[in-house]
Amino acid sequence: MTRQIRLLGIGLMVCFLVLFVQLNRLTVFQAAELNDNPNNTREILRDFTRPRGTVTTADGVVIAQSVPSDDRFELQRVYPEGPLCAAITGYYSFALGSAGVERTYNDELAGRTIDLSLQDIGDLFVDKETVGDLSLTVRADLQRIASDGLAGREGSVVALDPRTGEILAMVSHPTYDPNLLADHNTDAATNAATLLDASPEKPRLSRAYQDRFFPGSTFKVVTATAGVTSGGVSVSEPSYPSSNGYTAPGTTRPLRNFGGGTCGGTLFDILRVSCNTAFAQMGVETGPEAMIETAEAFGFNKDVPIDLTNPARSNFPTDFERNLPALAQSAIGQNEVSATPLQMALVAAAVANDGRVMVPHVLKDVRDVDGNIVDEYDPEEWTTAMDPGTSALLRDAMVGVVERGTATRLAVPGFVVGGKTGTAQLGTEVPRSHAWIIGFGGPPGEVPSIAVAVIIEGQPGASEQTGGRVAAPIARSMISAFLGGP
Amino acid sequence: MNALRAVRRNTELGLIVLGTLVTVGAYLLASLAEDATIPANIGPFLVIVLGLQLVAHLAIRRLAPDADGTLVPIAGLLNGLGYVFIVRIDEAKNEPQGLAGLQSGWIAVGIVAFIATLLVVRRVRDLERYRWTIGMGGIVLLLLPLVPGVGKTINGAKIWVGLGPISFQPGEFAKILLALFFASYLVEKRELLGVSSHRLGPIPLPDLKHLGPVLLAWGVSLLVMVSERDLGSSLLFFALFVALLWVATERATYLVVGLALFAGGALFAHSQFTHVQERVDIWLDPWQDPKDDGFQIVESAFAFSAGGVTGTGINLGSPTRIPYAETDFIFAAIGEELGLVGATGVLVAYLLMIGAGLRIALRTEVPFERLLATGLTVLIGVQSFIIMAGVIRVLPLTGVTLPFVSYGGSSLIANYILLALLLRISDDTVTREEERVR
Repeated sequence: MTRQIRLLGIGLMVCFLVLFVQLNRLTVFQAAELNDNPNNTREILRDFTRPRGTVTTADGVVIAQSVPSDDRFELQRVYPEGPLCAAITGYYSFALGSAGVERTYNDELAGRTIDLSLQDIGDLFVDKETVGDLSLTVRADLQRIASDGLAGREGSVVALDPRTGEILAMVSHPTYDPNLLADHNTDAATNAATLLDASPEKPRLSRAYQDRFFPGSTFKVVTATAGVTSGGVSVSEPSYPSSNGYTAPGTTRPLRNFGGGTCGGTLFDILRVSCNTAFAQMGVETGPEAMIETAEAFGFNKDVPIDLTNPARSNFPTDFERNLPALAQSAIGQNEVSATPLQMALVAAAVANDGRVMVPHVLKDVRDVDGNIVDEYDPEEWTTAMDPGTSALLRDAMVGVVERGTATRLAVPGFVVGGKTGTAQLGTEVPRSHAWIIGFGGPPGEVPSIAVAVIIEGQPGASEQTGGRVAAPIARSMISAFLGGP
Repeated sequence: MNALRAVRRNTELGLIVLGTLVTVGAYLLASLAEDATIPANIGPFLVIVLGLQLVAHLAIRRLAPDADGTLVPIAGLLNGLGYVFIVRIDEAKNEPQGLAGLQSGWIAVGIVAFIATLLVVRRVRDLERYRWTIGMGGIVLLLLPLVPGVGKTINGAKIWVGLGPISFQPGEFAKILLALFFASYLVEKRELLGVSSHRLGPIPLPDLKHLGPVLLAWGVSLLVMVSERDLGSSLLFFALFVALLWVATERATYLVVGLALFAGGALFAHSQFTHVQERVDIWLDPWQDPKDDGFQIVESAFAFSAGGVTGTGINLGSPTRIPYAETDFIFAAIGEELGLVGATGVLVAYLLMIGAGLRIALRTEVPFERLLATGLTVLIGVQSFIIMAGVIRVLPLTGVTLPFVSYGGSSLIANYILLALLLRISDDTVTREEERVR
């Protein structure tokens, strides 16, 4: 019997060894694959039943929070302001994943960052609630003004602080109600998403920073910067000939001004009336390399480092070889130039802030449950568009547009306001265009503290006045509300 | 010799204290993870855990002072760890069933049964005399759940008997009785069984009439278990039978024939019974139906992968996602919260128990006791193997409990009685050795 008993012992040991091998397979070798298995809803379910931080605007309005709910998730994510701040909050949905601030700051909201979870040694042993509350730079009052200004029309408003890159407001229409997507009933949520995506206007897209449009005449600020930076343009030189058409080398078809008008003059003059022929000539004479370089210095062709999901890249064409007519059109913001409203706001901000484009962001700071700040967003420079001297020149030019040019509706008494209107022709059968305005404003003698970009899409007509008429009032109300003016 | 006895008992005491510290530590961690507080009842908890084991220890000092000193502490550790997990799982449910109180009650009864067995069974050899009674008793206990009025079907398995408010599984006790019967009978007949008077082709076979009663007992138990849908126990009994037959006769033939019979029986069962087919299908590919039939196995795998090497920490995982986490799948809960390290620890604990049991078997020179110790060790070793293998998909899932760890009174009490028998054999052996020396 002895031998058999010993063999039995060895046999059992081998059996247990097999168990040990399989344990290793499950916990080590296949662990990653198992954890990522689509049937594995452990992590998601855990995240959904855990407390999550609150998102508050700069003026103390709660725009995302978790409230108790009677189902298996125990907590429901709600968005009290609904569509107003949808572009910023995004959504946190069991069925659809996450977007916006809910996504980019997920670790902070869940309390998983080191700053939040390990504040003292005792935290190593304990699983206490460590969620982070987000304080944003966005202001709910400005959001409302922007939203009211759009009045249901398709378009976007972006307002930011040129000195820090803090986004003060970002609204686009049409938009959606994130509460529908955060519904715990996965069928309801998925249906809501399908409905939204079926609409040709794509409400889930935040056009303010995720969609691109012809910038039209607002791009002339960039062209002017390129001209001045390259040394070819100054306050008094050159004086462009009064003309109603500019024919670029390599083509016989002239580029016209709006309504067939005639214009010309020095830098300030042509910016004030938004003279197409002069700027087209400026673009061609400045040359492709300088134009591309300046556009990219403003942020075109680059990924925007904003702390939201899926930003779109603004585009300035880089191939003008033997295609100077295209350059002429690009110089006035047509052809293949496309920009997000955010990018155009950054153009205005660069002019306001001595040429420095700061990284745009919505986060101000992260606080723990006791209200202590655990992390702050440190403003950082993203790119340098021009040197301070050039920016001073452009500032004065843009102030001139507001004082006596196409953007008089932007003026706010008692404050220094500069701007540039734009009407981007869409080349449709019945003339339609995007109505644009970009601008900045601030107390006299100080660096302007707000930069704005407004676009109203697809407006009837194609006159230079469209931008100033349609878009400027909205921008003005933003600037005025922010600065506390009349 | 007294020095050795002192060493044994003091080691046992030391191991009990260590095991208690681990259990209390686990309890503490579970409570900290819940709400960052030290539980108010940690003091009484410590006293009770230590107290129960000390009572058993003192009984051993009195009644079986030369017995092996590792079995009881290991059982105590497994018990304690299991208890912490049962409490943790139960309280995480939407409707807690008060399993904490119940399990501690069962543990107390188990310790009482342990001491009672040590008291009643003074010499294991005496049990040989009652061989047939014991054998019949085992069969009767197995048949009990099939009796209408007394038997209860729970979760499709007719293995329960209800006596008033209490349900118990007579099968757990039947196992021990039948192990006693097999051991006793095989010891007597082993020479006869070792002689081959016939040949079936190349395989030498004994006179079947000698094998008769045992085969009958085994056949009846298998049939009963199949009709009760208790496949795990069928497998366990089969392993017990073949192992004892092989060890008793020292003939590898029986091992080979046994395996062949098992293969045949398994194929037959697979072709005849749909629930066997389902179990095997889910074992081979649980991913075909991960939300329904395969849910338990799939979630168990996810539990282990979530735990990783060191586990998520006690009370920081989600073991309640797995149905029956406090009984069949408690190993998955341990794997999730204590990780590879914890699960391997449990594995090693059972291996140590098997080692101690087989050591006891090897040490005694009385054939009956040898066979009995082997049989009892096989019961614990193979049962724990079967359920752990089922949980991690090495074998198809079967509904047996993890000894000492799972929630369940019958299993706990039966296993404590089993332990007492092993300790009695161990003590007897040393006593006889001493007498010979004198």
